[in-house]
Amino acid sequence: MLAILKIIQSIFKTLHSEGTPRQVAAGMALGACIGLTPLLNLHNLAIISLIALLNVSFGGGMLGIALFTPLGFALDPIFHRVGLGLLNSPGLRSMWTVWFNTPIVPFTNFNNSVVLGSFVSWLVLAIPIYFLARWGIARYRATIGDMVRRSKLYQAVTASKLYNLYRLFDPES
Amino acid sequence: MATKIFRWKAIIPVVLFLALVAVLWIIFADRIIRTQIEDVGSSTLGTELDLASFQLRETDAAMDMGGLQIANPSDPKKNLIEARAITADLVALPAVEKKVVIERLTLSGLRFGTTRKTPARPAPKDSPSRKLWEQTQDWAKQNFALPKIAMQRVDTVKSLVLDPTQLGTVKAAEALGATADSTRQALTQTFQSIQVKPVVDSATTLANRLAKTDPAKLGVTGVAAAVTDVKRNIDQIEQTRKQIEDLQKNVNTAVVTLNQGLKDVDEARQRDYAFARGLLNLPLVSAPEISQALFGQPSLDYFQKALYYAQLAQRYLPPGLRPLNRPGPKRLRMAGTTVDFPKEHEYPKFLLERGDIDFAFGPDTSKGQFKAVLTGLTTQPALYGKPATLEASGKVALATPLVVELKGLSDHVGEVSKDQAEARLQGVPLPQLSVPGLPFSVTPGVGNGDFSFALTGDRISGTWSIQANHAEWAADSASAASFGLVENTIWRVVSGLNQLTVNAELGGTVSAPTLKVSSNLDNAIANQLRAIAGEELAKGEAKAKAAVDKIVADKVGPLEAKVDGLKGQAAQQLGLDQKQLDDAQKLLEAQLKRYTGGLPGGIKLPKL
Repeated sequence: MLAILKIIQSIFKTLHSEGTPRQVAAGMALGACIGLTPLLNLHNLAIISLIALLNVSFGGGMLGIALFTPLGFALDPIFHRVGLGLLNSPGLRSMWTVWFNTPIVPFTNFNNSVVLGSFVSWLVLAIPIYFLARWGIARYRATIGDMVRRSKLYQAVTASKLYNLYRLFDPES
Repeated sequence: MATKIFRWKAIIPVVLFLALVAVLWIIFADRIIRTQIEDVGSSTLGTELDLASFQLRETDAAMDMGGLQIANPSDPKKNLIEARAITADLVALPAVEKKVVIERLTLSGLRFGTTRKTPARPAPKDSPSRKLWEQTQDWAKQNFALPKIAMQRVDTVKSLVLDPTQLGTVKAAEALGATADSTRQALTQTFQSIQVKPVVDSATTLANRLAKTDPAKLGVTGVAAAVTDVKRNIDQIEQTRKQIEDLQKNVNTAVVTLNQGLKDVDEARQRDYAFARGLLNLPLVSAPEISQALFGQPSLDYFQKALYYAQLAQRYLPPGLRPLNRPGPKRLRMAGTTVDFPKEHEYPKFLLERGDIDFAFGPDTSKGQFKAVLTGLTTQPALYGKPATLEASGKVALATPLVVELKGLSDHVGEVSKDQAEARLQGVPLPQLSVPGLPFSVTPGVGNGDFSFALTGDRISGTWSIQANHAEWAADSASAASFGLVENTIWRVVSGLNQLTVNAELGGTVSAPTLKVSSNLDNAIANQLRAIAGEELAKGEAKAKAAVDKIVADKVGPLEAKVDGLKGQAAQQLGLDQKQLDDAQKLLEAQLKRYTGGLPGGIKLPKL
């Protein structure tokens, strides 16, 4: 329940946060990585750190995770094909051999077809996600943003105590 | 105002978050690794693997495991092996590359065939190991049609109508017919491609022309030109002869193939006779068949298990340095495929350099301990460069001394994998054997057992034998009253015998295996059965043979003629071609001698 509430909060806050559409879109693009790729992997630890350390919208990151996690599950068969194709590609074999015999790198689990396929897909999609999100948020704020902000539901959700914790990661303009 | 890139105030929360992850790892690492060992082990072996405890000692680069149980895939209530405690000393450096290199492993309290508290879970249906287990079961069923000792009344009056599609002879004959046709076509094309006639005609024409000419009238230039022509023709004959010799080799190879095909047809016919006899429920009276019926299944069970583990080893310990695809880890998301990329001069993904094992054997574990040494077990044998070996031995001085010797070798270093195991047991309680199709069982008691198995590439070989001097036969009391003629005869023979000797021999290839079984009961049972049902058997066998011959005779007869015709035709054509070439060469050589013998002394002929 708490998690659901948190997701709803993050969506509302993000869409109306003081972060610029660029910051929110960048956060979403990074969050998409966590959503699209299997969670318990080393690269996601780096992505979480980046979302926190870079001046992007933390809520945007949460929104990215929330939106792209179901998509990740649905696209797993495609990620598997992409990853397996890359891992079994004769042209890349020497690179993988060096890579996966280098300290620490094997802990990324990029030698798994789904992890590699989803990560590469995210790399390809990150820029389009960023631009699409930036355009969408700008349009939202310009059109129905104010109306939603004045709604009772928005007031109720933002009154939650979780909001205080969330504000710690508010982007600095 | 420019937007800042970093959020400095988040550094402390991030550091705290990373520290939290590290703390969680320290708390749960043992449990996570234990679960992973259980998952990977169960998935690899195709049977449940349980580990009661696991502790990683990071500071000592070691790990301790306790309560290892590996369930028997063919009996979920039993363990294949159970180990009390395992300690592994790790090499630390490869761990940063996610590799497990065990310098020394100590395994104590190993026992075999213990009873499980809870039955093992079956391996998932789609797991590769489960599929392999099912494949080896199918392999045994499909490749060995073990004869059954029929118990019904001998019925030679029963009409016997065979379906041609059921007979192996028909298939073998059709296959050989196709081979013969393609061989004939290939040989005809090759014969036509070798231009014997033009070469012979050219040589004969030249020889005849020169024979009609006087060399003395040609002068030096004319003689030299004639000699050059002759030598060129002789060279052409030599080249053609070389082609004929090559063709001769091809013909020889084709003849071997065709002869083998005829042999296969004959063997298929014998199998079809046996199949037809089986439809008449004739009791077995051939000694080898009786042994196969009595002890074929127990021996096959051992060989099937050995083949499963050997093929498992070949699957998970591949030769060479090719990347290995294996199923990914279990998780909510799709598991995918994980690919290992071995690299020369690096550590393999898993390596056990040496393992020292203490184990107990037999029901009384207090009277003897056995030692085993396992070396070089690795997932990438080409990197380690040496085969994995297992040697175990032990002796307990009981009234009948108990001796155990085990040897195993898994050599996947070269391109052709070799897996072999040998076991020699003396003075051990041998397991009870049921006789398939008959309501009897035999308890061999304490005796000797030998087992060996080898899988080298596609070739398999194995032996299984037991010797017992105090065997006890038991009949199913419920069905004893209704014993028929065959059961009674067999029971009379076996019930008085205490000595039991069984030998089984496996050979051939995985795709075409052979099994021979013999025992000390064969001849005694065969003679008794022949005595009581000899006449009826002869009638039945003749009937079965006639039923098969009726279908296959019109296919096999012409086929034999076709193959013989092809062989004869090829030999005749080759002989004819060779003779023509020999004759032409002789004519040319005669002219060459005539022309060169007529030259004035000192004149050298131009070299070709």
